[in-house]
Amino acid sequence: MSYVLLAPEILLTVLALAVILIGLLVSDKSKNILGYISAAGLAASLILTIAKTGEGSFFYNAIVVDPLSQIFKIIFLVVSLIAVIASIHYFKDNRNQDEYYTLILLATVGMMVVASANDLLALFVGFELASMSTYVLAGFEKKNPASLEAALKYFIIGSLSSALMLFGMSLVYGVSGSTNISEILTYFKTAQVSGLDILAMVFLVAGFGFKMALVPFHMWAPDTYEGSPTVVSSLLAAGSKKMGFVAAFRVLVLAMVAVRADIQIVFAILAVITMTYGNVVAISQKSIKRMLAYSSIAQAGYISLAFVVMTQMSIAGGVLLALGHAFMKGGAFIAVAVVGYMVLSDNKNTKNTDDISNFAGLGKRAPITALSLFVFFLALAGIPPSAGFIGKFVLFYSVTIQAVSTASTWLLVIVIIAILNSALSIYYYARVIRYMYVLPPVGEKIHEPLPYVIAMLLAVIGTIGIGLYPEPVINMAMNAASVLGV
Amino acid sequence: MTAYISLMIAIPLIGAILAFLTKTRQQARAVALVSSGISLLISIIMLSRFDSSLAGIQLDEIHSWIPSLGITLSFGVDGIGMPLVLLSCIVIPLTVIFAWGETKEPNKFYGLILLELVGVLGVFTSLDFFVFYIFWEIVLIPMYFLISIWGGPRKDYAAIKFFIYTHIASLVMLLAIFALYFNAWQITRTPDFNMFHLLKNYSLLDGWLITNVISIKDAIFIGLLFGFIVKMPAVPFHTWLPDAHVEAPTAGSVILAALLLKMGGYGLFRVILPLLPFSDSPGKMITLMAIIGVLSILYGTFLALAQRDLKKMVAYSSISHMGYVTLGAAALVPLSVSGAMFQQFSHGLITCVLFMSCGVIQHSAGTRIIGDLGGIAKYMPKLTFVMLAGFLASLGLPGMSGFIAELLVLLNSYANLPTFVILALFGIVFTAGYHLWAMQRAVFGTFNEKLGHIHDGANYEIASMAVLVLLIIFFGLYPNPVLNMMTTTATPLVRDAAGLVGVIV
Repeated sequence: MSYVLLAPEILLTVLALAVILIGLLVSDKSKNILGYISAAGLAASLILTIAKTGEGSFFYNAIVVDPLSQIFKIIFLVVSLIAVIASIHYFKDNRNQDEYYTLILLATVGMMVVASANDLLALFVGFELASMSTYVLAGFEKKNPASLEAALKYFIIGSLSSALMLFGMSLVYGVSGSTNISEILTYFKTAQVSGLDILAMVFLVAGFGFKMALVPFHMWAPDTYEGSPTVVSSLLAAGSKKMGFVAAFRVLVLAMVAVRADIQIVFAILAVITMTYGNVVAISQKSIKRMLAYSSIAQAGYISLAFVVMTQMSIAGGVLLALGHAFMKGGAFIAVAVVGYMVLSDNKNTKNTDDISNFAGLGKRAPITALSLFVFFLALAGIPPSAGFIGKFVLFYSVTIQAVSTASTWLLVIVIIAILNSALSIYYYARVIRYMYVLPPVGEKIHEPLPYVIAMLLAVIGTIGIGLYPEPVINMAMNAASVLGV
Repeated sequence: MTAYISLMIAIPLIGAILAFLTKTRQQARAVALVSSGISLLISIIMLSRFDSSLAGIQLDEIHSWIPSLGITLSFGVDGIGMPLVLLSCIVIPLTVIFAWGETKEPNKFYGLILLELVGVLGVFTSLDFFVFYIFWEIVLIPMYFLISIWGGPRKDYAAIKFFIYTHIASLVMLLAIFALYFNAWQITRTPDFNMFHLLKNYSLLDGWLITNVISIKDAIFIGLLFGFIVKMPAVPFHTWLPDAHVEAPTAGSVILAALLLKMGGYGLFRVILPLLPFSDSPGKMITLMAIIGVLSILYGTFLALAQRDLKKMVAYSSISHMGYVTLGAAALVPLSVSGAMFQQFSHGLITCVLFMSCGVIQHSAGTRIIGDLGGIAKYMPKLTFVMLAGFLASLGLPGMSGFIAELLVLLNSYANLPTFVILALFGIVFTAGYHLWAMQRAVFGTFNEKLGHIHDGANYEIASMAVLVLLIIFFGLYPNPVLNMMTTTATPLVRDAAGLVGVIV
């Protein structure tokens, strides 16, 4: 068994420990270098993940490396990389940088473990590692009450959801006698459906639903994303949320073959409510971070369509949209961070730095940021050629194909609702675009800090690159979906 | 395989990016002129390579893009697309020359104009329905900004109204396109977005989704038709147009009227006519289109007659002129259809002159209200000359292109749609009326002293208008270079529909 396949995780774990050690040794002033080290480590890990071929399973089949885990690891690494690059400026000269970067690296490792987990225990441990780290990250601006509120809310709800999930897992274990996902699948394929299975399912759906921020398990997300330091919001919305999806892909899709039909209905209702609620509420938001939070809720609703039909193509579509969302949403939060920096350099005491009025004339004040945000918004609205469009298209396409093949009217209705939602979302994105390009600027042109620019450009390249040349990524996602064997 | 079309689309796209990056006005406009000029050159080469005696797609090219979804970058032109490609490549460089003096954010201004060229060329040449839709949407965004940044006092309202109106129509069209796509998928079980493939399979559609109100075939047909006639625009979906025109800068109005409206007409010929014979109730659909066409002609004319703002008058005249396109298409006679295509080409040239005239007058006199003008011919002789030529062309003076187009439509439509043609004929009298009446009040007569000192249009403005007038006269006297290819394409287009004449109400 070659542990080379786990090199990205090992590298990041070692790096996380090294960062905190270096932090102890160097003076506060030279701690800025930690950001560069972390970014380099994440980049190296990303390259290792992309370059690596081969599959394997480790630790008594608790951790597997397969196409599905790889594509989600790429998502997590990309988001962390973007967030860390932006943090180089965001947390510049902060004397707690060593802790910050350690936590962000450990959170990434946790997410990667979740992506690879083939055992309920490994899954839970990965979840907890990522969650514990991000609870602290959300409250990292400890003098800012909003940040503390965000962290506390996130912590309480997160713990609750972990408890629900754990209870669901324990029920599954009780029924099937194993924590290994492959063995649970074997059990469910032969066993009779019992009431306990359904109960276990309900707890697991609720537990994952909290992580994915599906309505009605979403209420922590807007407050947490709004109050957290903006670079951390980027990590939470674009990265850690996807943990719920990869876990749901593995556990629900695999294990619940037995109770398939019921799960489909549950997810159909959840998906429709989530996307509609997210889009409708996003319209009235004045705070852009909140608007982005609701838009990620809506996007989670689209991704959940994958669970509704559970075909290979629909899961590929969900994976593609998750990947696209990582670039678009990650980048969009970084752009909001630039606006925050801009507003604070105008007036140090501004309270709501992400208020929409601060975006007036952004096209003139910070042209690169405005253009990047323009790209992210159009991509989030699903306008081609962008990653957001490809994801949505493959997803809606797969559901429609399923509707046409099975002559199922209700599936078609769901697709039409999804398309209408997508059209609706253009409204609130276009509103911000109007502020940026049409309204007059309220201040001087600023110099956009280089780390932010690099982070945003990475996200822009990802967003448009996938849109222009989607074929390899589509194939990758199809391979990932084929792992589940649906 | 040739690469003329992809080159023709790529160059303005690169030009647009360069223009956005330029620092000075001089650089921006030079980039715009050069890149649109190269596109014009390519379109002329294409015209010389184009064989007017063949009805099919020519100069086609296919590039693979997303094989797993059946999407390819395939381009090509026939008698429907080629004249409009030529029109776009003529209008954009002339618009750039006309707007040579733009000072407000020139880099964005010229960049957006080039993006419009990219969009319309893509629409007129794409043979993949999906790529067609992308270009169809690309056109919206630069126009939104052209109106909302360089527009008049109510620009915000006009820009958002334009955007929402046409975007909703596009979405309805998108749903219909997907319905066609999934229908073809159901039959062949392979993903393929090729336009002709989708249109061909429409006739095989057996609706698994049947509603009591409307058959799925008719729903798809009406969805597509709706997408196109809102863009044209046809009464009763025209209300976005006057607002957009009144608030848009002159260059924006020119592009909007000369090119964007033509996308709707292009859709009628490219998509609607091939589907028409196979819809469940073709007779009703033909009647519907004929009613919309005649209504647009008459209603547009009467509204134009009532306008006080010269530019608004011209906007309504566009609606009226585009009504001939719908009418000619609905008549399903080869020559009425090619007349309708020629009307698109001809109106594209004429309307430029009219909107440019409005722009020059607004700039010089500070107003476009017809009643506040008067006698400006004395101080603006050059403008008066080209403007008069444009107005005469617009009212259908023989010897100019508009006359041939409208004559072809009316003469040949009579065979199938006699009642509608007779109704449309009433419009002609009033069309002549409002053009001459407006000229009389605004340009001739005694000079209104309140206007103060006014000056003639700048040379570059007059020059680009003069070129357009020469082209209008050229195609009025010798329409064959474009009319022949239109007729060649139109003939097989209506062949399937020949049996439908009897069912027309």
